[in-house]
Amino acid sequence: MKRSTKRRLRQGGLYAVLAAVVVLLAVTIDWQKVHDNFWASGLGGNWHDLIVTGVKNTAVYTAVAFALGLALALLLALMKLSDVVVYRWIATAYIELFRGLPALVTILFMAFAVPIAFQWRPPGGTAGAGVVGLVLVAGAYMAETLRAGLQAVPKGQAEAARSLGMGPARTLIHIVIPQAFRIIIPPLTNEFVLLIKDTSLLSIVGATVGQRELTNVTRDFMSSGPTAGTGTSLAQAALLYLIITLPLTRLVAWLEKRQQRAR
Amino acid sequence: MMKRSLIGLAAAATTLALAACGSGSSNTATDSGSTGSSTGASSLSLVSPGTLTVCSDVPYAPFEDFDKTSPTGFKGFDIDIVSKLATDLGLKLKVLDEDFDGLQSGLTLNAGTCDLVASALTITPDRAKHLSFTDGYYNSEQSLLVPDGSSITSIEDLSGKKVGVQKGTTGKDYATSHAKGASIVDFPSDAEEFSALKAGQVDALLQDLPVNLAHQQAGGYKVVQTYDTGEKYGLAAKLGNTGLVDAINADLTKMHSDGSYDAIYNKYFKTN
Repeated sequence: MKRSTKRRLRQGGLYAVLAAVVVLLAVTIDWQKVHDNFWASGLGGNWHDLIVTGVKNTAVYTAVAFALGLALALLLALMKLSDVVVYRWIATAYIELFRGLPALVTILFMAFAVPIAFQWRPPGGTAGAGVVGLVLVAGAYMAETLRAGLQAVPKGQAEAARSLGMGPARTLIHIVIPQAFRIIIPPLTNEFVLLIKDTSLLSIVGATVGQRELTNVTRDFMSSGPTAGTGTSLAQAALLYLIITLPLTRLVAWLEKRQQRAR
Repeated sequence: MMKRSLIGLAAAATTLALAACGSGSSNTATDSGSTGSSTGASSLSLVSPGTLTVCSDVPYAPFEDFDKTSPTGFKGFDIDIVSKLATDLGLKLKVLDEDFDGLQSGLTLNAGTCDLVASALTITPDRAKHLSFTDGYYNSEQSLLVPDGSSITSIEDLSGKKVGVQKGTTGKDYATSHAKGASIVDFPSDAEEFSALKAGQVDALLQDLPVNLAHQQAGGYKVVQTYDTGEKYGLAAKLGNTGLVDAINADLTKMHSDGSYDAIYNKYFKTN
C-alpha cells in the first residue's frame, strides 16, 4: 500500500471514531434534561445580582489582590536578587511557603486563625481577610516571574548605565525594571487570569450580601430564586467567567507571539 | 438548618398541608408494612439495591458528627434515626458526607448519589418543590449564640453588629427579617461560622438551637435567645420517590408508637 493511501485510511479511521462518539453522545444524552438543568426558565432574574454584585466584587477583589500582590512580588524579587544573603533566604522561604500551600488553606488561615493568633483583623471582615490571603499567594507566584524577568535583562544594560554614572537604585528603576516588565507582561497577564479564578475561593470564608463575589452569588441562586435546585446559575457564572477570562488568555497568546517575533 | 420560610404564614400552611398528606399516605403504608417490611424493601427504588444510601452534611452536632468507632463512620441523632429506619426496612446503611447546598437544593439526590437526605433539613415549601419530604421527625428552634461577657442579650442588640448565619438556612432568613440594622455574614457551614465567631469576625451566630447548645456546652459561649419558628426537620428523597417516602413515614409512625423514637430523642435532647 502506498504511504499516502495509508495516511488517508488512518485519517478516515480517526474521523469515523469521532463521528461515532458524537452520534453516541447525541443519542444517549437526554437533551431536555440537560437544558432544564443548565438553562432553566426564569434564569433572567439571576443576571442582575450575578453581574451587579458578583462580577463587580470579583473584579474589585482581583484588582486589589493583583495590585498589592505585585508590590509584594517586586519587593520579594529584589530581596531574592539582593547581595545580603539573609534577604535572599527570607524571600526564598516566603516564596516556597506560599507556593507550597493551597490558596484555600492560606485564605482560611487569614480569615479564621491569624485574627486569633495575632489579635489583628484585616478590614472588610472575613472577605477582606480572604483577599489578604490572595495577596500573599499572588505575591509569591509573581515574585518568581519578576525575578526571572529582572535576570533576563542583559547584564550589559546595567553595566552601561553604571558606567554612565547612574547609581545602583537609579539603574534599577530607570533601566532594568522597565525592560523587565516588557518581558514579563505575558506571564503576568496569565497570573491575573489565575487570580480572577482564585477569587471564587473567597466564597468559603463568609460574606455579607453586598460582599459576595460571583461564585458566592451563584451558590445562593442554587438554593433560592426561580432556578433553585438546578445548575442554571452555575452555567450562567461559567459564561460570565469565560467572558472575562477568554479575551485575556487570547491577549496573552497574542503578546507571546508578538514577543517571539520581536526577538 | 431551616430553609427559607419567606412568609411565615404560607410556610405554616404548606407545612400543615404536607403533614396532612404525609399522615394520609402513612396509613396505607402501615398496612403494607404489617405484611412484612423486609419484603417491602425489595420493591423500593434505591440507588444501590439492598442498601439505604444516606447523604448528610457532617459535622452538624448533635445531628451528625464523625465517629470512627461506628460502623457507618458517623454518629448523631439523624444517623440513629436512619440506622433504625434501615434496620426496620431490612436494608444495609451507607452514609455519605455531602455539601449542604447540594442536599437542600435536590442536586445531590438528582445526581443519584444517595436515596435519602438526613441532614437536619427543615421542611419548607420552597424545598418541597425540589425534594420529596417525609413527615417531620424533629421540631426545630432558632437561637442566638454570643461569647460569654458579650453585651448582646437579644436580637434587638444586633443593630450595628455582625451576625453569622449559614448559607441557605432558615436562620439566615430569620436574621434577615428580624435582626434590624445588623450586618449579616453568611458562611457555608457551622465550621467556618463558629471559627469566625471565635476569631471575632462576627459578634453572634443565629442558627439552629441544638448546634448552638453544643457550642454552649463546650464552654465560652452562651445562648441568649431562642425563636420558635414552627418548623420541622424532615428526611428527603428525590422528588417523586413516593415508595421510599411512604415506607419511611410508616416506620416513623411505628417508632413513635413503640417508644423507639423517644429512646433516640432522649439520648440527645433530654432536658432535666
